[in-house]
Amino acid sequence: MVTKLSGPRATSKRSKGKNLRPVAHFTVPTWIFLFLTILIPFIYGIYISFLNINLASFLPASFIGFDNYLNVLRAPETWSTFQITLVITVFGLLVQIPLGIILALALHENLRGTKIFRSILITPMLLTPVAVGLTYRFMFDTDLGVLNWMLGLLNIEKVNWLGSQTSALFAIIIVDSWQSIPFVMLLVLAALTAISPSLYEAARVDGASSSQIFRNLTLPLITPTLLVITMIKIMDFLKLFDTLFILTRGGPGNATTTLGLWTYKTGFIFLELSRAAALGVIVAIISLPVYFLWRKASKGVR
Amino acid sequence: MWENPHMDMKGPAVLNSKTIRSFAGLVTASLLLAACSSGGSDSEASGEINVFLIPSPSSTAIQSFIPDFEKETGIKVNVSETPYGEAHQKQLLSYQQKAGAYDVAQFDNSFLMPFCQAKAMKPLDEYLSESSEYDIADFSQSQQDYGKCNGETLGLTLSTEPMIQWYRTDIYEKLGLKPATTWDEYYENAKKVQASGAEGQIVGFGPNVSWWWMTLVWSFGGSLYDDNLNPTVNTKEAIAATDYLKKLISVSPKGALTANSDEVTSKFLGENIGAMINYSGYYGSVLDKTINKNEGKIGTAPLPVGAADITHLAGWNIGVPADAKNPTAAWKFLEYVLGKTNAKRYLESGAAAIGRKSITTDSDLLAKFPYLAQLEIPASSRVERYPQIAVWPEFEVAAIEAVTQVLAGKQKTQPALDTLNEKLKPILAKEPKS
Repeated sequence: MVTKLSGPRATSKRSKGKNLRPVAHFTVPTWIFLFLTILIPFIYGIYISFLNINLASFLPASFIGFDNYLNVLRAPETWSTFQITLVITVFGLLVQIPLGIILALALHENLRGTKIFRSILITPMLLTPVAVGLTYRFMFDTDLGVLNWMLGLLNIEKVNWLGSQTSALFAIIIVDSWQSIPFVMLLVLAALTAISPSLYEAARVDGASSSQIFRNLTLPLITPTLLVITMIKIMDFLKLFDTLFILTRGGPGNATTTLGLWTYKTGFIFLELSRAAALGVIVAIISLPVYFLWRKASKGVR
Repeated sequence: MWENPHMDMKGPAVLNSKTIRSFAGLVTASLLLAACSSGGSDSEASGEINVFLIPSPSSTAIQSFIPDFEKETGIKVNVSETPYGEAHQKQLLSYQQKAGAYDVAQFDNSFLMPFCQAKAMKPLDEYLSESSEYDIADFSQSQQDYGKCNGETLGLTLSTEPMIQWYRTDIYEKLGLKPATTWDEYYENAKKVQASGAEGQIVGFGPNVSWWWMTLVWSFGGSLYDDNLNPTVNTKEAIAATDYLKKLISVSPKGALTANSDEVTSKFLGENIGAMINYSGYYGSVLDKTINKNEGKIGTAPLPVGAADITHLAGWNIGVPADAKNPTAAWKFLEYVLGKTNAKRYLESGAAAIGRKSITTDSDLLAKFPYLAQLEIPASSRVERYPQIAVWPEFEVAAIEAVTQVLAGKQKTQPALDTLNEKLKPILAKEPKS
């Protein structure tokens, strides 16, 4: 055992490490940058979550222990906005992942016009969420929007898309899906391309139908990619802000306010910086399991 | 070890003690020069002021005066504009640091109280008492009080924007209607307009619904809280006001349910709607042909009266931060832009009007801007402005949430306002005692 460790493998590991050392030095500026821009603000955020900083109050901040956390956890808004975040996440995933898979399967068939179709499909990904939010806000407008104009042509009564919780959440999911489905599609397409065609040939020789091939071959092989996509999308939904802010500003009332938007309101509208920091830490804690699952799923993809 | 092949090995030897001394001397001299020049560039000495503005027609109008002001006084004016969403946060941070970053600052009246509690703005009463150019007597008492906190004037009026009644003269004429004087009349007018095929009226039931709701609560004889900061939003007056607001939905276009104040205005000016309740400051949009599709058909009238005769007064303030480096030049600038001499020019530069008596009674201006008549606040009318409490943003979000529940029919008025009243207690308890 000892002989083995001090053998060629151990030597090559050492020399590999030695060879990498100069290269590793080049990453130092990046580490410093990340330390300054992510780690320090994060630690500072945790620190101020234990104080009572209110931007409108010029009194010196004092240490209040876990009061902010207790207040945040006791506030009904925290739970209602968390519920809204969950609803958007679950329904968003239910729309985006199946549609992304269907589009990827269609493109994978390499039918005529696939290249043009693919280019068109990825366009929404290239647009800024604010521009998308503004465009859709006009489209959803009750009196002047194109959607109600089309409904009018069919003699269907106008819908106030952003006026009730259900329809506003529906609108948010539609807009986010419009932008995110191409992302899902591209990743699934990459996973599909990586599957060896010989596996499909063998399945067909064995007499498997298309649905059997999808269920028993394609789906298991793209599952690690789907897991990665799911985790990325969950993190996206947890920090969903720009589209939501432009589209509904969390309204009507707080009916579409997510946990992220509530954190923003607490910090920048109510000026309760410490309470917002506590909320931010809670959001980070909620994200942690997702992050670990994502790492696990990423290994599966590799 | 990796070594730089380009390193001149003679390099370190060149840095002998003489060189180091010379270098140190040079650095010291530079620092001294820099210190002197920074003293020299002190804004007071060189006559320089930094003006913090929030993008708005008022801000644009102010900036149009700068070239002439600089020419006449030799005082250089630097402008920094920050969007509304972050403007007050930025100001608060600056005032907390006592950085003296700004000599003049524009702010929303709702921030008067936080600034007052923090002693962030310089009282202007001494300047006002001595300035015949600004002539504070040219303002009615209620407007003189608009920028006051605890008896001190912390902000001059940068715009006078009462909530008023707007109506379509063509529709009202055709139907033989007159602008409403009471809320009942207002609703009846809207019903008649709706029966004629147009939309009855519009107010914003969306993210700014609190503006209309509190106007109605005051007008129906209610209040948001009492003198001891106990919430009073579930009184019978507040319930009647909320029910009335809900009743207005039936005579409003569907889009009003989600409309913010800008959208309310653009819908009124761009569509076929009989009347609107909104701030007078939106008159600029009436003059904008790209927004107003009903040119020459927009009339204005005072706010209908309920159980109480109130004027909901809004508008920008502008003042001198307590940490301003050059308050004298700052006052000179304010006096120049907002003084009596340039008052007409200021209005004609596109700004929302300032309710000076000399402006609101000027016949030439009235012919051009008929809404100016609405800025004359009758002495009998009780002036209400944005609640002067630091916790107003949190109060407002809670109120919007509750009122929206009522408007959406998810909750009945009484229980919704009872819940709101309870919710507001801990919020108001956080209000710093002045």
